[in-house]
Amino acid sequence: MEILERLFNVALIVATLRTTAPILLVALGGSFTTRAGIFNIGLEGQMLLGAFFAVIGTIFSGSPWIGLLCGVAAALALAFIFALLVVTFRANEVVVGLALNILAGGMTVSLLKAIFGTRGSIFGHGLVGLPVVRIPFAKEMGWFGQLISGYTPLVYVAFFAVPLFILFYNRTKLGLYIRVVGEKPEAAEALGISIAKIRYTASLLCGVLAGLAGAHLSLGYTTMFTENMSSGRGFMAVAILIFSAGDPKRILAGCLLFGFSDALSLRLQTFGVSSYLVLAVPYLVALVALFALSYRARPRIIQETLASMGRALQVKPQSAVEPPALAREP
Amino acid sequence: MNDRISALSGQALAIMIALALGAMVILAVSESPLKVFLTLMDGAFGNPERIAGTLLQTTPILICGVAACISLRGGLFNIGIEGQLFMGGFAATWVGFSFEMPPVLHVLAGLGFAAFAGLAWVAVPAFFRARYQTNEVVSTILANYVAVLITSYLTINIFKRAGGAPDTPPILESAYLPQLFSFSRANWGLVIGLLLAVGAHLFFTRTARGYAVTEMGANPKFAEYGGIDIKKQTFFLLLVSGAVGGLAGGIESLGVHHRFMEGFAPGFGFDGVIAALLANGNPLGTIITALFFGALRSGSLLLEVDTTASREIITVIQALIILAVSAQILVRRRAADSSAGERRWKF
Repeated sequence: MEILERLFNVALIVATLRTTAPILLVALGGSFTTRAGIFNIGLEGQMLLGAFFAVIGTIFSGSPWIGLLCGVAAALALAFIFALLVVTFRANEVVVGLALNILAGGMTVSLLKAIFGTRGSIFGHGLVGLPVVRIPFAKEMGWFGQLISGYTPLVYVAFFAVPLFILFYNRTKLGLYIRVVGEKPEAAEALGISIAKIRYTASLLCGVLAGLAGAHLSLGYTTMFTENMSSGRGFMAVAILIFSAGDPKRILAGCLLFGFSDALSLRLQTFGVSSYLVLAVPYLVALVALFALSYRARPRIIQETLASMGRALQVKPQSAVEPPALAREP
Repeated sequence: MNDRISALSGQALAIMIALALGAMVILAVSESPLKVFLTLMDGAFGNPERIAGTLLQTTPILICGVAACISLRGGLFNIGIEGQLFMGGFAATWVGFSFEMPPVLHVLAGLGFAAFAGLAWVAVPAFFRARYQTNEVVSTILANYVAVLITSYLTINIFKRAGGAPDTPPILESAYLPQLFSFSRANWGLVIGLLLAVGAHLFFTRTARGYAVTEMGANPKFAEYGGIDIKKQTFFLLLVSGAVGGLAGGIESLGVHHRFMEGFAPGFGFDGVIAALLANGNPLGTIITALFFGALRSGSLLLEVDTTASREIITVIQALIILAVSAQILVRRRAADSSAGERRWKF
């Protein structure tokens, strides 16, 4: 019992929320491209480049907020190249995504050496992280205060983004357009929606969130940049996106599962379990979830999307883009 | 024939564009592109030792490239070759230091177990890809991370000698894969790699099954109507690809390192995938692209000594080449305006 008490307490939930935030941000970004019908394996590279330039921007400007903008801009640039090749030149998305990941990996290490003359990681050099948010009166609220206060800003952004995403996909024109383009491109064409424009938009929006995720890694989650510091989070996000089909609620559930397994396994380390095995846990959870859910989820999602698109298309083309037809959807 | 020439010149143009972009990146990290280029050439081909060094680097890239070709031909992405290489490398090392056997048999046993380890490592993703269409790109990438961590765990926590360096015991001399030259660690693995490339080429062009899986890669629907068992062939191709990936690791450990340690083979699996993509999934073409990447890698070792640039600059160049090629072929394809029957993975 004592062991269980040491394992499961408020601190574990806090740790879960912390470890969930970066992967949630990047997975939400990926939901844009997933829903627009693009398989975006390049999330990893966008996140890594975002993390790197967030650090560079902070060091040269002295402000982590300007660093954050630099990180987002860098990820956005990579997302633009992705969209240019995949949408305009119709290159294979897996090939382009992988190449951009490799590009990001090589570039960050090369620039690290060129600018700082070191390998491995950078910290210090006047690097400051994003300020911690202290919610007033949180101290008086006991364990609940502990739960809601004391995170860096992007943790709040990640979790508050989830309901916004649900609204976005169900209540806004752009959200609906993205879904139509992804699920029934022919229907999108019939409605006069430019598939290319929507896919560019989705890719760039994805870049913004991946950049934020990267900036959170290097300025919030830690205050340093390390070679390859995204360490597969982008790929785990892709796994989540596959079995969630880009649905924000399922993305949140999937990310919490990873956050929890991450936090729990880090705690197991204090019980003398080898750190190598502990580090492997999140990847194994991702694999098991991917295998277990991809079969079960797939046919249902196809059915659902066909049903919802059928409903959307029964209405006249002009009114089909209005929310009511889809607002009832779960 | 005309098509082929224009395709080749297009490929060459893409590589030129990529190199030009690479030169700009090199300028950005404040080095002279010419100096970097000359250093790379000198490091790769400057003297017999360096040429042998290039061959040493080419070997794993070539074998991993053949592994990638095998899956790409069937329209499948085995991105997990890096992980299969780690598993194979560890498996061969384990056979190498745990058992006493006569020389040739020991090498064969080590390589055989390496191939089996690679096959076993890809078996679960392969099964789910074949049976439930579970995306193999993601599952094999995630499996890479697990493979690296598990082999590290086995090396450090199980087999490390107390107080010793963080690596396994060395393999017995009977398990050494013979070297090609007296002055370099380049070994017979290169010959195995060349044979595998030729063998894969013959398999795809001369056998019924090879034709069937190529058909499957080109157009799965059509292949299915043609009576090809897609699930079975998918499973088979991924297993073979994984076995070759494992073999690459076995050759690295029995031929080069003679032990297993952390950071055993950084990035050879990914280089192999890129080499195969650049060769458009052609095993014979992969020989050339693997040599190219092997030379870059070997040259980059000198780069780190002689210039301020980091050796990772070559991964930037490799990525730029792939991006340029992926865009360029499409310009041609758009002109032809036919995407029917194209392979799923084709740029």
